[in-house]
Amino acid sequence: MTQEHGQNALLPTNEDTCGPYFPIYFRDESLEDLTRIDPGVLAGASGQHIILRGRVLDRHGDLANGVVMEFWQANAKGVYRNPSSAGHPDIDPWFDGYGRLRSDTGAYKFRTIMPGASADRAPNITVTIFSDGINRIVTQIFFADQPGNDTDPLLSALDEADRPKLIARHDGRTVDGAEVYLLDIIMAGDGETPFFDDFES
Amino acid sequence: MTKLGRQIGIGPTDNTSDQRTPRQRLRLIPESARESFVPYVPARYTTRAHEWDLTRISPDRPRADGSPIEVTGTVRTESGAPVRNGLIEIWNANHYGRYRHVEDGSGLPLDENFFGMGRVLTDENGTYKFWTISPGAYLARPDIGRWRPKHIHLSVSGGSSRLITQMYFPGEPNNASDPMAILMGDAFERNLGKPYETPDIDVDQGFRFDIVVGGRNATFFE
Repeated sequence: MTQEHGQNALLPTNEDTCGPYFPIYFRDESLEDLTRIDPGVLAGASGQHIILRGRVLDRHGDLANGVVMEFWQANAKGVYRNPSSAGHPDIDPWFDGYGRLRSDTGAYKFRTIMPGASADRAPNITVTIFSDGINRIVTQIFFADQPGNDTDPLLSALDEADRPKLIARHDGRTVDGAEVYLLDIIMAGDGETPFFDDFES
Repeated sequence: MTKLGRQIGIGPTDNTSDQRTPRQRLRLIPESARESFVPYVPARYTTRAHEWDLTRISPDRPRADGSPIEVTGTVRTESGAPVRNGLIEIWNANHYGRYRHVEDGSGLPLDENFFGMGRVLTDENGTYKFWTISPGAYLARPDIGRWRPKHIHLSVSGGSSRLITQMYFPGEPNNASDPMAILMGDAFERNLGKPYETPDIDVDQGFRFDIVVGGRNATFFE
């Protein structure tokens, strides 16, 4: 690791692979569907329900079984729930914005709400992937035909050919009204998804 | 000099690492998008009673096979701030090197008294403690005779700190050939538990494992 340290900074523990056996026991259903607080509770997040789904693929185009995916996003009004937004009038009390799932097969499906645009950012969801063979890798997913995609600073920083790799395409609507978006994440090789460095940036 | 994102290394002799490691350099995040890359985990963690003691499935059951150990330490950010009320998810193989996981097809023995998964929360000082069974090493690549050394998986989530890591044991013969340990180089030492004597408690040995969550995310809101 070559990250910069302040003078008195402690040396970081190395990240390591989560391996193939991340316990399914740690699964939390309330983190797999952010449109509701907990199954059966009559409360839920404001906003357009969406389903983000797709496959996580390896260098050979095979499904990456056993991946753990974490999601982080703003609420429908574009506000992230973190210490800097404490007391913000547009906080949604029923929405934390953090999700997690483990996919046995490498195919994933995450139900949430469409994040709002914020400041100069297009709607997006940050996705963290843990899997056997790698440490944490991070990227951000956008949505087709959303205002702001053309001027988003992250998308704009990429080569033109790489931008579509982060934009989920619209794939219809479920009977209960969720808009479906589809994006495959390619961990390595041809068509590789751009991943971002939150140590060096 | 133009700053670049990291190029991730591929773990030697690790097929999955070869299949799944991005080949392109990681991209730098423009500053105006930086805060959006700092997930903040809501503090709605749960642990169950007795989950801190992996040496028994439940208090009324016998000890699992093998050597019971204690692991203690602190979780801090690089600036030294404790990660308070953080969740540590723990999993390790049993004495024989087998995980109680539906996808572990090694054929090694299960131990009816070992579950191998637990959760603890850090306290106000970032301190944690759990007991488990010293895990067995297992043959990860029978074709080339490569073993995975004894290790305990730890997943840390607290505020904007996020880390999945493994604690290894000092002096183990297979440490040097482990693909991920090789990638860590000299820094591998940071992932070793430091042994201590435990004369007054009901375990064979203790290991001190102080965790530092690196990177800007962990300190973003400090």
